[in-house]
Amino acid sequence: MLIYILKRLLIAVPLIFGVLTLTFFIIRLAPGDPAAFFIQPGISPNVAEQIRAQYGLNDPLPVQYFKWLANVLQGDFGRSFSRAQQPVFDVIAEALPITVIIAGLTLVANFTFGILIGIISAVRQNTFLDRFLTVTALFFYSMPEFWFALMMIILFALKFPVFPVSGLNEIGAESYGPIGFLLDRLWHLVLPVTVLSINGAAGIARYVRGSMLEVIRQDYIRTARAKGLPEHVVIFKHALRNALLPVITLMGSSLPFIFSGALFIEVIFAFPGMGRVTVEAIFARDYPLIIANTFISGSLIVLGNLFADVLYAVADPRIKL
Amino acid sequence: MIETCADRVSVAFRLAAALFIVLNMLAFSACSRNNGGNGKGAKSSAAMDSTLVIAMLGDADYLNPVIGATVTSSNIFGLIYPSLLQSEFDTTTGLMNYMALEKKLREVTPGQGKKAPKGALAKSWHMSDDHKSLTYILRNDAHWDDGKPVVSADFKFSYQLYGNPVIASARQQYLAELVGADKGRIDFDKAIETPNDTTLVFRFYKPVPEHLALFHTSLTPLPRHRWKDVKADEFRHSPLNLEPLGAGPYKLKNWQQQQEIVLVSNRKSNLPKPGTIPAISFKVVPDYTVRLTQLQTGAVDVVENIKPEDFTALLKANHQLEIKTVGLRVYDYVGWSNIDQDEYRKSGTCKPHPLFGSARVRLALTTAIDRQAIIDGYLKQYGVVCNNDISPSLKWAYNNRITPHAFDAEHASALLKVEGWLPGPDGILQKNGRRFSFVLYTNAGNARRNYASVIIQQNLRAIGIDCKLDVQESNVFFENLQARKLDAWMAGWSIGLEIDPLDVWGSDLKKSRFNFAGYRNPRIDELCELAKQKMDPVGAKPYWLEYQEILHRDQPITFLYWIKETQGFSKRIEGEDLNISGTFYNVDDWRLRPSANIAQ
Repeated sequence: MLIYILKRLLIAVPLIFGVLTLTFFIIRLAPGDPAAFFIQPGISPNVAEQIRAQYGLNDPLPVQYFKWLANVLQGDFGRSFSRAQQPVFDVIAEALPITVIIAGLTLVANFTFGILIGIISAVRQNTFLDRFLTVTALFFYSMPEFWFALMMIILFALKFPVFPVSGLNEIGAESYGPIGFLLDRLWHLVLPVTVLSINGAAGIARYVRGSMLEVIRQDYIRTARAKGLPEHVVIFKHALRNALLPVITLMGSSLPFIFSGALFIEVIFAFPGMGRVTVEAIFARDYPLIIANTFISGSLIVLGNLFADVLYAVADPRIKL
Repeated sequence: MIETCADRVSVAFRLAAALFIVLNMLAFSACSRNNGGNGKGAKSSAAMDSTLVIAMLGDADYLNPVIGATVTSSNIFGLIYPSLLQSEFDTTTGLMNYMALEKKLREVTPGQGKKAPKGALAKSWHMSDDHKSLTYILRNDAHWDDGKPVVSADFKFSYQLYGNPVIASARQQYLAELVGADKGRIDFDKAIETPNDTTLVFRFYKPVPEHLALFHTSLTPLPRHRWKDVKADEFRHSPLNLEPLGAGPYKLKNWQQQQEIVLVSNRKSNLPKPGTIPAISFKVVPDYTVRLTQLQTGAVDVVENIKPEDFTALLKANHQLEIKTVGLRVYDYVGWSNIDQDEYRKSGTCKPHPLFGSARVRLALTTAIDRQAIIDGYLKQYGVVCNNDISPSLKWAYNNRITPHAFDAEHASALLKVEGWLPGPDGILQKNGRRFSFVLYTNAGNARRNYASVIIQQNLRAIGIDCKLDVQESNVFFENLQARKLDAWMAGWSIGLEIDPLDVWGSDLKKSRFNFAGYRNPRIDELCELAKQKMDPVGAKPYWLEYQEILHRDQPITFLYWIKETQGFSKRIEGEDLNISGTFYNVDDWRLRPSANIAQ
């Protein structure tokens, strides 16, 4: 298996590198100019030119590419154009913890509620409860997140002012002390995490229900019931463990989400996470930051898939790597 | 094997579920701790009573006056750094006034002049008779926050930074009249002299009107002793940018990038005094709906650019809010390409555009568009029909004898008929086999322009013109506009307070980068030049009156409406004086009423 992992990692290097090269050319060939902000009446025409020279954008494209390549091979992804020329990984390092907290909490909630609802639906198949849960899950699953977020804000911030609408902390939260500060932070996270996890959990519930229904019909479940095991043991010990295997794939593919962030939620709740960094970089034509983000998300997608494949092999001995 | 792995998975899920439940409980306990989780309860805390919260759409780029280029940045660094002069827009005359401690450019109109000149670093100034040098006498009691005096060398040093091409300051245009600028390289030794710590002399290569000289020489200084060792190529990413050393009424307490900038009153400041409100928080809230919600719940005190359609609901929901407006500085227009852009791009020659090349056709288009209907339907009392690009707020120059071209579809049709545009078999006007059909482009994400473009489309259809609508991403739209790839578009300008329209209307299309329409009228060039030569702006009034008449006649574009920008304010703010020069122009004098005194 170790050889398999090493092989996959080695293949990943040219793959990610190819993605970066493509991104490099696509963003430069797309319309838009990183110095466009400086082209306006009252600003000397020289400024945009000077800014482009600073960013090295006046060189021919192949020269820019080889210069970029030389830097990247030394681990230098450059400085952001739009964020006060901070090194791009500093920008990402600031945004990442916020995204990881939100996404981490969301994933935990997603899988917890998703699996619970999935099991109930499967065990009580075709009852009123199953139909109710299925319809509700579909309802939330089909709802656009940004709209749902706004509805939650109207409900819980305007009609019943229970939760704060935006930001990570209250004004003056520093004076609450470390515990108070943390609690204040969590209080601010309730709405966004709820929005994200209701939508995600509904999706996972559908997977678990399907997989659970398949497992429940297997011979060994009938055997377990036949030997007189209590129903909860049959469900949780025998059926659930096997039904959860496909969920592992979902977990692997969720890895990039943890780091790439949820754009709408970050914009609506004003969290400076990775989703906002990426999209603002695209709008500002901040080339180095776009490439660094692509690098991070590209690597994570590759690693996530590898992780899922490995977990699969670990969980199911029929799969040989 | 399956068993063990499934065991692990199951244990992990159990742990995760437990963790989530604990976190949620913590969250809810935090919520109940805050007065039942009521946002207003949290707001009644002492921190909120002493903090003014202003919502911003995005973060400041730099809190450094040399390189900070966004409006947000200049709002904030304007409070941190001192300024050489105090400037004020006189709403009675529409002229800018500049004030030193002991001198004013103009006498202040009664009822105006709320800004005390105490914050100015200059005691006085003297403009030479030939208008080629300007000497400032600085006060000697001004100090940076670290105790070092503010001296003339700080200004010279700062101007060298503003003029350094490696630093690429967006304000280098202000140095365009200094000695050497005409030859492409400013000679700082001659252009700025500092004979002693309190004397500062600027020299120009040509005579410069006094108001313009004052405007261009009063760029915000940086402390030389703090910045002198920073190399030009490291200037933009120097860590000093995060710790601004100023002398103004506020100082930076905390800057959490992309989240919040907190300023606190600078107790040491005598320029003019420590800010009245103890702390100001500039909070980044990117989503418009959320900014509105925050204003409604009282989590923020000021939200700029509220859409007129939201006023009623907002004011009904919270009686402690009010909408305030500033002067007319922003207008929207429909641009018509006066020249054949394809031909110009290919050969550089200017031929009339097949559709919009004639002034009569453009006049017909303006007459066919019901501008008042757009205002009534969207902007309501916050819009005014626009005739040209000199704002009615610039009262000294505004030509109020011009009557707007009234909406008159029949007149428009008659004008087009004279030009040979006659209805074709499909009802669309035709001339020499060409249908009057075009695409009107605009940038994405502007509700006002979307609204206007639909009305324009209907209006034009009514007289037999086929106008298709297309929305482009802002960057792409702007690039296409610059590359002269669009025949018709809708956009807007925010005007400067000093009139200088050559960039937008100059006949030399290579120089006039923003003359997207390709309008060329030598008389406009002449008038702009004549106006520039006047040493007193009011002396140029006849030129500007004629300028407006020409634009009104030629209709290079269809000017739609002036927009009164509308800002949402909490009534707990007192002493605010909104002005065309900015919403936050006297924010250091604002006061906050304690929440206990606000009627519920």
